[in-house]
Amino acid sequence: MSADPYSAKVRELFAAPAHAGDLAGGKTVSVTDQDVRLRLSAAVTDGTISAMRFSVWGCPHVIAAAEAICSDLEGHPPGDLESYTAADVMQNLPVPVEKTGRILVIEDAVRSLGQRFCDGT
Amino acid sequence: MADDLIYLDYAASTPVDPRVYERMREVGVAAYANPSSTHAAGRMTHAAIATAAGQLGALLNADPKTLIWTSGATESDNLAIAGAARYRAHKGKHIVTMKTEHKAVTDVFDALAREGFEVSWIEPDSRGVLDPAAFAAALRDDTQFASIMFVNNETGVIQDIEALGSICRERDILFHVDGAQAVGKVPIDLAALPVDLLSLTGHKFYGPKGIGALYIADRPGCHVDPILFGGGQQRRIRPGTLPTDLIAGLGMASEIAAGRIDDDLEHVSGLRDALWSGIREIDGISLNGDPNGFPGILNVSVDDIEGESLLLALEPLQVATGSACNSKSQEPSYVLRALGRTDMQAQSAIRFSVGRPTTMSEVEFAAGQYRDAVARLRAMAPEAAA
Repeated sequence: MSADPYSAKVRELFAAPAHAGDLAGGKTVSVTDQDVRLRLSAAVTDGTISAMRFSVWGCPHVIAAAEAICSDLEGHPPGDLESYTAADVMQNLPVPVEKTGRILVIEDAVRSLGQRFCDGT
Repeated sequence: MADDLIYLDYAASTPVDPRVYERMREVGVAAYANPSSTHAAGRMTHAAIATAAGQLGALLNADPKTLIWTSGATESDNLAIAGAARYRAHKGKHIVTMKTEHKAVTDVFDALAREGFEVSWIEPDSRGVLDPAAFAAALRDDTQFASIMFVNNETGVIQDIEALGSICRERDILFHVDGAQAVGKVPIDLAALPVDLLSLTGHKFYGPKGIGALYIADRPGCHVDPILFGGGQQRRIRPGTLPTDLIAGLGMASEIAAGRIDDDLEHVSGLRDALWSGIREIDGISLNGDPNGFPGILNVSVDDIEGESLLLALEPLQVATGSACNSKSQEPSYVLRALGRTDMQAQSAIRFSVGRPTTMSEVEFAAGQYRDAVARLRAMAPEAAA
């Protein structure tokens, strides 16, 4: 039997991505690259990220990673966005190495979002 | 298979019919001697093989003596194409096939090209149908061999084998047909069809895996050089001790198919129509193939959906993607690309294939699952840039 290409964690996050959708009143970045189309939004309340949302066109690992990243970052200070690395998500889901580029697209989007909070744009 | 899975991948493989399995068990237990042995036990095994050849011959309306047992369609295709092209190399080095053939055919043509043969790859129309006039136009004075599949494995498109074969007969070109998706599923009369070589495999029509056959017409000039060596079995065309139980299973599968092929076609036609009716109103959906093709296969693409996510969202449906014949490949299907589909359309393609055990409730569930999956993934995606 061929190995299942998806871990139980990927299947769970793909099936029920609680952070999929739009966010009113937050800051948003959009990127399209590496077979990924992503819109990522975050809202900050009292110095912490109070909500994150994503819209994404991509493979199951990308959808699962977007969900995991949004879930992980809520409650953090917005400054963490700029230095965010997706290495832990890559390892924990896990994401196959040939899809690393797609996950780095999400990482870049998170950092861009952090830059927007830093710049106030 | 797990009870919660809905298998709609009968073009990839079919379950062994219990009567086939029982025949294999009977023969495997009783007829275990080497069929090449001349003692009584060997003759018993030989008789079981002869019975199977008669059953397959009856399905195809072919003399059992024209059938060579192989390990499956891939080997049959290799033997037919490489064996015939090499045997007839003195007549010319030009050989012809289509871009939408199975890899078991295209890879052999690629190998022959490396040996010095000149290959013409004919393109079908946007439905995947080969125009006999386009086929004729690709032939030359030095064309000695052509291979065209009967039913396409991805789209179900049926080629006009009678017209194509007639063109070959007029020009003394040996004509091979990959019948892996056709035998046992659509009526084939080899006494009437101008086909010189026909490949088939057991597991596509409720027989066992690991057994197939190559039909070699009994007429002058129709011969193949062997690609395996090591004994005198099967007229030295395909040496090796024959797997008696597998052959007996293929024979029984042939007998069963012969008795119900029209009923099977009616059954899968109803299922395919119901499935298509249940999804055809989806915005951006398109049919890959010919509406008049083999009704057991429905291949569809849908705009702006990522194919791998669609496949996962369709679970528990067990279907095939538009990736090149298997989900391990990230490449869009070369068959669909040859039909003019974009990479985006090809990667979103799903092949549903139904079979004898498929029920109407299963295809109705499948249609609903497909509608829901497309809606969910579209709702999750940002709008594409204009």
